[in-house]
Amino acid sequence: MVTGKGGVGKSTVSAALAVLAARAGRRVLVCEVNARERIAPLLGAPPAGSQVREARPGLFTVNVTPPDAMREYGIMVLKFRTIYDAVFENRLVRHFLRVIPSLAELVMLGKILFEAKAEDRGRPRWDTVIVDAPATGHAVQLLRVPAALLDTVPGGPLRADAEWMQALLLDPARTALAIVTLPEEMPVNEAIDLDAQVRSVLGIPRAALFVNAMPEARFTHEEVARLEGLAATPPPLGPAATAGRLQALRAEQAQRYLARAQAALDLPTTVLPLLPVADWGADAIERIADAIAATPPLEVP
Amino acid sequence: MTAVRETAASRRIVVCVGSGGVGKTTVAAAIALDRALAGGRALVCTIDPARRLANALGLSSLGNVESRVPDHKFADAGLRPKGELHAMMLDVKRTWDDLVTRHAPDPARRERILKNRLYQQMSSALAGSQEYMAMEKLFELATDRDYDLIVLDTPPTAHALDFLDAPDRILDFLGNDATRALLAPAIGAGKLGLRLAQLGGGYVAKTLARFTGQAALSDLGDFLQGFQGMYEGFKDRAAAVHALLSQPEVGFVLITSPSPVSIDEALAFHERLHAESMPIAGLVANRVTPDLWPGDGPLPTPDDLEPALGDAAARNGGFARRLASTLGEHQALAAAERRALGRLFEEVAAPHAIVPRLESDVHDLRGLARLAERL
Repeated sequence: MVTGKGGVGKSTVSAALAVLAARAGRRVLVCEVNARERIAPLLGAPPAGSQVREARPGLFTVNVTPPDAMREYGIMVLKFRTIYDAVFENRLVRHFLRVIPSLAELVMLGKILFEAKAEDRGRPRWDTVIVDAPATGHAVQLLRVPAALLDTVPGGPLRADAEWMQALLLDPARTALAIVTLPEEMPVNEAIDLDAQVRSVLGIPRAALFVNAMPEARFTHEEVARLEGLAATPPPLGPAATAGRLQALRAEQAQRYLARAQAALDLPTTVLPLLPVADWGADAIERIADAIAATPPLEVP
Repeated sequence: MTAVRETAASRRIVVCVGSGGVGKTTVAAAIALDRALAGGRALVCTIDPARRLANALGLSSLGNVESRVPDHKFADAGLRPKGELHAMMLDVKRTWDDLVTRHAPDPARRERILKNRLYQQMSSALAGSQEYMAMEKLFELATDRDYDLIVLDTPPTAHALDFLDAPDRILDFLGNDATRALLAPAIGAGKLGLRLAQLGGGYVAKTLARFTGQAALSDLGDFLQGFQGMYEGFKDRAAAVHALLSQPEVGFVLITSPSPVSIDEALAFHERLHAESMPIAGLVANRVTPDLWPGDGPLPTPDDLEPALGDAAARNGGFARRLASTLGEHQALAAAERRALGRLFEEVAAPHAIVPRLESDVHDLRGLARLAERL
């Protein structure tokens, strides 16, 4: 499970983790959750839509949306497609299902976790399933659905499903949650809040912190001190010194926020480089994957 | 006065919208502060301010009530306001409770709803709840108080449009005829409900129960029955909010960062506001990388910089080379951002402001005042 504040690079990290798993010869599925699909395009493949699709050898993606997940789940529970069609394609019922709180989350999570435990001819269908989960608040809503159902539903198929889903989510041998953040104030605050909720509400095993887009410390202290004075000089040196000073300032602030995140979360941390705009092309994901590979190994269940 | 600041100055209500992480709260606070400095009574209603900004506004310990930013906070920042700045933080759960209290026909009904588990889940956790209550609070403030300006910061949604859609989704849930019809036997609704239920067939309800469990259906029935009769009041109020938002005294300020994702959100929001004839007061491009190189000439090479640095140490340590490549990367980013923003400014016919990425986060009144000058 990969989550964090909106815009911190969850999809980038998810795609890079998938590339790493595929490089290691694992069969991997990346699930996006009702998103404007980004993983397949990041990997240079056309969007998958709601059907699992191979983006590159051994690496599959899917975008899980409520209507499709609902249909699959409904047919699974009711066993017969004809019953599903008769009941669930009813206009009134469709409207009703759309507005039940959390039902959309339940069927989407159900579909993902169903893939995670699926077997074909006695072997697991996937070696690794990576979930590019929604941003913080929505991720917590998604991942706490099984627990909420166990609290409120006394019996029936919903409860039975909530039971195996919750067992899978809480099993440290099978599930790990990674938090992605930027080395900036608000994303780090949100990562700390999210981590507290994972611990107190969700109970999903936490495994890793990714700090994305980390500017490198490019100048020495002496050089930074010199840049202060040089920034006011005329071109060409003045603008270059200003750019240098801004870079140094950002690097220094980033270092502080990195330290804060690490101290608060106390998780194995992977720091990913800030790529210059010229390198945002097709091989950016490969470079991020290399950066992840170069840090001590993540405990992948 | 520059563009967005000027249009904002002529409105009574300003709603700041944009995707998460673009600096909405900071811009909202700056617009309110600007009016207070100029002599107005201004209120900023924030959703989830960064801690230091909350402290700057004196919000550290406050819930759903407005409080005036004390004089010493202004004095600390070297500012002398001619008017007053008030600030508050939206408390979603309490706004819901207030709404229920206002519309419940009697105390027994109020208690029944407030104690219902589904209600408790909805009022604190349901997606869209925050957005709905932000609208609700805005309406209350706009009708019951006499501020010269109310600035509403909107919830940090992944998709900015959720802010406009969420209230309808929740009202849909509360007042859903389909839901009532299907649950009619369970909630003992009137004759019309029963007839619809028979039309759909007990078969439908039974199959649904196989899907969700009978207990979940009954809980939902109980919840909806609690809300019966109150729905109209809710709906009228939501319609009034919608009408309020189309008034010329209201202005939406679209806030975006120069990232493509954020710009796409701003474009989508603009399209929507335009379609619903909601007034746009301005567009703020926040945290933009400043253009540091004068003119269109080529950027300096390390050799161009070395004479000015003028020492062997600079050469040996590669200082000049690192400076040249840093400037190159900086300018490439600035150019990419300008191209993306150019597309946005072309589409959106509203005054716009470009706020450069500041050297540190804005976290005091002085910083907010400086930000306001950029608008």
